[in-house]
Amino acid sequence: MEAAAVDAVVDGLKKSGVDFISLMPDSDFSVLQERVANDRYFTYVPVSNEAIGVGVCAGAWLSGKRPALLVPTSGLLVAAWPLTSICMAWSLPLLLLIPYRGDIGDAFWLMGPYKDTTEPLLKVLNAPYSVIVKTEDISKAIVDAQGSTISWQRPVAVLLTGETIK
Amino acid sequence: MKRYDCLKLLASMLGPKVIVVTNIGPISREWNALRPSDANLLQVNLGLCAAVGMGVAVSLPHRQVVLLDGDGNLLLNLASLADLANQNLRNLVHIVLDNESYEGGGGLKSATAGRADLAAIARGAGVPSASVTATLEDFENIARRSLNDPGHHFIVAKVEKGSVDKLPTLTLDGKEAKYRFARYIESTEGVQILRPRYTHI
Repeated sequence: MEAAAVDAVVDGLKKSGVDFISLMPDSDFSVLQERVANDRYFTYVPVSNEAIGVGVCAGAWLSGKRPALLVPTSGLLVAAWPLTSICMAWSLPLLLLIPYRGDIGDAFWLMGPYKDTTEPLLKVLNAPYSVIVKTEDISKAIVDAQGSTISWQRPVAVLLTGETIK
Repeated sequence: MKRYDCLKLLASMLGPKVIVVTNIGPISREWNALRPSDANLLQVNLGLCAAVGMGVAVSLPHRQVVLLDGDGNLLLNLASLADLANQNLRNLVHIVLDNESYEGGGGLKSATAGRADLAAIARGAGVPSASVTATLEDFENIARRSLNDPGHHFIVAKVEKGSVDKLPTLTLDGKEAKYRFARYIESTEGVQILRPRYTHI
């Protein structure tokens, strides 16, 4: 992920009022993760799997924070369990930022299956999403997604692909 | 030792502002009967009580938070113990009511009926204070000491299977629990959680 994209994500998170970040360490977001971990503006809670991350964010939102969860592409499948048993069952908001590995143009064969799972899974989970391919669109997409997740009281995702995760 | 008796003792020790996050199943019903309060966040699903409690405890470091977990709930997501330990919390008492079974799911044995030792696992995960108790007298002493000592405490209470007769039905679903708890936090913390003003569009 290039520096301009990292800057745009952090800008969007701050403009949207996000003040709490949970994440599972991941190669695609590693520079971004280091950035938010070292930014005292955010309460930062690294977790050992994405299901814990959803639970942590649920507790944080109920306690007055504005959380976002950074989810590795494959980790969305792990997060699907509490996105159902907590977010769907309790009608909780959650901003999800996901690197869209396996999108068309991703040459790594191992990522291919996530083209089949990522978008259909978000639809099944009743989590609307935007697919962002241009760095210049990242910040507004995050602000919009955060507004929608709070208004709708259900998770909303931003999938980052194309030049945004190069 | 009966779970209900442990919870009854615990309820007598907690002030009204202590936040309590509970496992789904009989623990929620018993706790709701003993300490009905909007400071309770009840019925957190299997594998997630510690995670949700972590989010609450990290977000409200000035509030005491008690987790009433189950052995089955915690076993499903043991890594949450390591993540909790790394937060260096000063406001958490994590109690596992360990009946060595999935009581809410039919009563089959859990791993703690075999060789698993949750207190040893917690210590290995980095939790600084982890203990096991099997008598009410011990439980009362350890719980009282933990509640009065800022830190991150982990207590395994070995309890019998089974609940008490004539518990009131818990009529709260997750959505109502969300609104009640969030409104309670709004009123006690002076924050706005639900329907905040949002003007970007």
